[in-house]
Amino acid sequence: MQHLLRIAIIVAISLFLTPAAQAQDLSLQDILQDHAEQIADPSRRTVGETLDALVATGHPDLPGFLTRWQSREAYQRDADGFFVYVEDEDADPLVLLDISTGEAIGTAGSREITQLRPNGGVRRVIGGALVQFQLGADDPAIRLEALDAIADDPEESYLPLVEARLEAEEDPAIRARLEVVLPGLIIAFAEDDQTRVDAIRTLDGNVSLDARATLNRILSTRRGVAEALPEEANIAAILEPGSPALSRDDAYDMLVQSDLAPPLISRAEQRDVLAANIVDGRVGGVPVATLNSEEARDTAYAALVDADLAEPIPTSAEVDAALAAHTFFDAYSEPSAAVTRAARTTLDSIESRVGVYRFLDLSLDGISLASIYFLAAIGLAITFGVMGVINMAHGEFIMIGAYTGYVVQTLIADYTLSIAVALPLAFLVTFALGVLMERSVIRWLYHRPLETLLATFGISIALQQIIRQIFGTQARPFTPPDWLAGAVTVNDVISISSIRIAIFILGVIFFVLLWLILNRTRLGLEVRAVTQNPAMAASMGINPDRINMMTFGLGSGIAGVAGVAIGLFAQVTPDMGANYIVQSFMTVVVGGVGNIFGTLIGAGMIGSLQKAIEWLNPTNTLAAQTYMILFVILFIQFRPRGIIALRGRAAGD
Amino acid sequence: MTRNRSVPIFIAILAAFALGVTVMSEAYGTGAISVSFTKVLGMTLCLCLAALAMDLVWGYCGILSLGHFAFFGLGGYGIGMWLMTARTEAVVRANLANQVIPPTEAEVSDATALQIFSVVGGEDWPWMWAASDSLFLSLVLIVLVPGLLALVFGWLAFRSRVTGVYLSILTQAMTLALSLYLFQNDTGLRGNNGLSGLQNIPGAEAIGQDRISIWFFWASAAALGLTYIGAAWLVSGKFGNIVRGIRDDEQRVRFLGYKVEAYKLFVFTLTGMICGIAGALYYPQAGIINPDEIAPIASIYLAVWVAIGGRGRLYGAVIGAAVVSLLSTYFTGGRAPDINLGLFAIEWVDWWPVLLGLGFVLVTLFAPKGLGGLVDYFVRKDRT
Repeated sequence: MQHLLRIAIIVAISLFLTPAAQAQDLSLQDILQDHAEQIADPSRRTVGETLDALVATGHPDLPGFLTRWQSREAYQRDADGFFVYVEDEDADPLVLLDISTGEAIGTAGSREITQLRPNGGVRRVIGGALVQFQLGADDPAIRLEALDAIADDPEESYLPLVEARLEAEEDPAIRARLEVVLPGLIIAFAEDDQTRVDAIRTLDGNVSLDARATLNRILSTRRGVAEALPEEANIAAILEPGSPALSRDDAYDMLVQSDLAPPLISRAEQRDVLAANIVDGRVGGVPVATLNSEEARDTAYAALVDADLAEPIPTSAEVDAALAAHTFFDAYSEPSAAVTRAARTTLDSIESRVGVYRFLDLSLDGISLASIYFLAAIGLAITFGVMGVINMAHGEFIMIGAYTGYVVQTLIADYTLSIAVALPLAFLVTFALGVLMERSVIRWLYHRPLETLLATFGISIALQQIIRQIFGTQARPFTPPDWLAGAVTVNDVISISSIRIAIFILGVIFFVLLWLILNRTRLGLEVRAVTQNPAMAASMGINPDRINMMTFGLGSGIAGVAGVAIGLFAQVTPDMGANYIVQSFMTVVVGGVGNIFGTLIGAGMIGSLQKAIEWLNPTNTLAAQTYMILFVILFIQFRPRGIIALRGRAAGD
Repeated sequence: MTRNRSVPIFIAILAAFALGVTVMSEAYGTGAISVSFTKVLGMTLCLCLAALAMDLVWGYCGILSLGHFAFFGLGGYGIGMWLMTARTEAVVRANLANQVIPPTEAEVSDATALQIFSVVGGEDWPWMWAASDSLFLSLVLIVLVPGLLALVFGWLAFRSRVTGVYLSILTQAMTLALSLYLFQNDTGLRGNNGLSGLQNIPGAEAIGQDRISIWFFWASAAALGLTYIGAAWLVSGKFGNIVRGIRDDEQRVRFLGYKVEAYKLFVFTLTGMICGIAGALYYPQAGIINPDEIAPIASIYLAVWVAIGGRGRLYGAVIGAAVVSLLSTYFTGGRAPDINLGLFAIEWVDWWPVLLGLGFVLVTLFAPKGLGGLVDYFVRKDRT
């Protein structure tokens, strides 16, 4: 213990002071030769002093040698006692390498050198000395690695090293890790409970997974049963058989396992016993053919018990008595009640903080899902919401936008540039398709909205199949650039992928842009005029045909741009549009037809609701979608016109 | 009450068709029609039945439901549960018969449940299978469950005056929710595995599929004929006039003092039940049902058939469903000869959906009366 403390102090000092001047002059070989005997034949008791002396020199090549020594890869030449490495253990003759430069310095037969074979205890001490080198390494990655090793396999000897490191560390990420590893070591190895409790308290408010794992380790319990509560045990809870924590069956199983009660026998076991005792076609006097009911089997089994051919089954009264006569409990493996109590309160306070962070994280998830819904629906908010056209091919416009992104990416290698090209190109492609569709099909059907639905559905399956013909059924890769591929991580609870942030920003841009177009431009004014009253608008000199064409093109083009964004995180397949069409319609309807504010609110509501349901039942996203749709159906009952309902003449009908 | 002149013609054609198929069937005739094609024809009749229901609710009452295939699927699941339970139980009993000690009822039931649900990791009977051991109860539920769903959904929707496009989207959401629900493995209907082996009729193991297929064909034809007569009677009287009035101007009918919601709810529920029966006849012929069957697109197809056949004339729906679904089977079944244009070969399996889609567009644009409109060329109608 003492020498380790000394090592720690020396390491701490040597990290900041320049290494002793003499170490630079002497080669490692010279230093080692001073302690040759100890190194060649170390013992658990004496190796500490040798290591102290070696570490004190602060020689830069030392960690490399210690690693080799520890893993039994260092050798000593018999002739002159030189320490060497060998290039290949199985070669003959062996090629010897210099311990400092790693250069070949000659060859030797396997008889001429001796392998250094430190025993387990010595190797552990060497490991401790090595960890201090790694902890003091300049490369933060190595320091973090050393901490991981310590956390995985904690030992008492690391305690002073970690403590010293914490004083010196400046890298915030490593500091945070140290602040968890150190209390972990103290809790595991400190002798007096007050020190350990204090260490636990320092973890308060630390939401990292490591801190929670450390505390949970202290609070691990073992379930036990006894006639009376054992006095020395640190009891976490006393369990009542038949309570949610411990069912009566499980409790009785525990009794059986501990040989405190005779086993119950299952129906299958009963049948096997009966089958084993068939005599002349009868079991206990009951004919085999009649054993097709539980009563008959019980009778036969009782007869077997009477004849001492089977174990008696405990009656339910006996089961009750056995359960009542024993105490079931959960006991902490940690003996000190003060420590477990401190760990429990600290963990509770951490968990409540984690709860708050979880809520924030969930809100972020909800917002990002909402922005996806919003992007998918906003084109529809114009074609369906403003113009009243039910465009079932809307999903296919999204799909074509995504495929535009894929095609651009095959032509332009740079991912960032290809997205910059794909966004406007997707708009142009789907804008043109939308205008074409409006001119050729939809304008004939403005007075028959339900038939628009059928015609556009036809277009939708035709478009899907054409894309399938061109690109095939399998998903096409459309990869985001590196700067969009990562995630922003706030702490172990809150993190959000960059691409979702980008989609959120894109959604905001779209919203502002569309709002400006519809409310602040000549085009927007004319669109609103035509949708309210085409005849009146026409007599005011507006060309309704042109406006309808432009509006439908705008809505379709936006769907295409949304497709580029959606294609970045979803699979680009010919039928990807179908996944968004129903959700998009619901978003528009829930929000309220006729304005994009409604779509925004509708998307926000549906997105956050779906996340909230997923949170209640995290294993099942399908169920969340199901309940979300049910909710929407019910919601429409109470607000048939959506959240933001147009009033007065604008509402139509 | 005006007589619907199409009824005797329709019944005559249907009877002639059924007779023709029987004469050419493998079991009772020349064998010109294979067993699998007999099944296709029987299934087509079931789809015609569903289309007939769709025509009642859309063509006559003006409710464009995009969720009627959900009722169809529920009927299929209803009969499927009984078929699967009875069939599996028979197999389990045969296996357990080799045991030294005869099995108890509980053992048979447990082993059957394990056999059916092990594919989704279950071993207990889910609650909705409670009636699956009784054919009578199952048959009742085939009508009741779709009817109840339609009643509740319709009551909610019509009560709050959800109409037109909104109702279409809402019904679409309903069928999407149902199919997503059924897709989950833990909801008791075997998730995306669905129910399978439905072509094996319990108690009829000795009878070949050749005879069973023609029996189901007869049953489907009978159901279609009876429903046609009933539907024609229903829409010809005062009830039919009111329902048509609701389609043309709901407000006006309401102001005339009729309870519009009650009429709509009746038609919606009734057609839901008809779809349930159609589904119950369809899936024993198809042999398998899974949640994909009730995806929203299936219900849209149902509406498209009716639109192509011609709305509001009953026989139009039957013609539309029969023509489109048989053509689809023909072209996607790989039997149609590919057309080779030298550089480029038209493969029907691939190009059929494109043609079908464009066909919808053309029919909507240029033939709003659908194929039924052709009939008008030949038959001068007394009233519009």
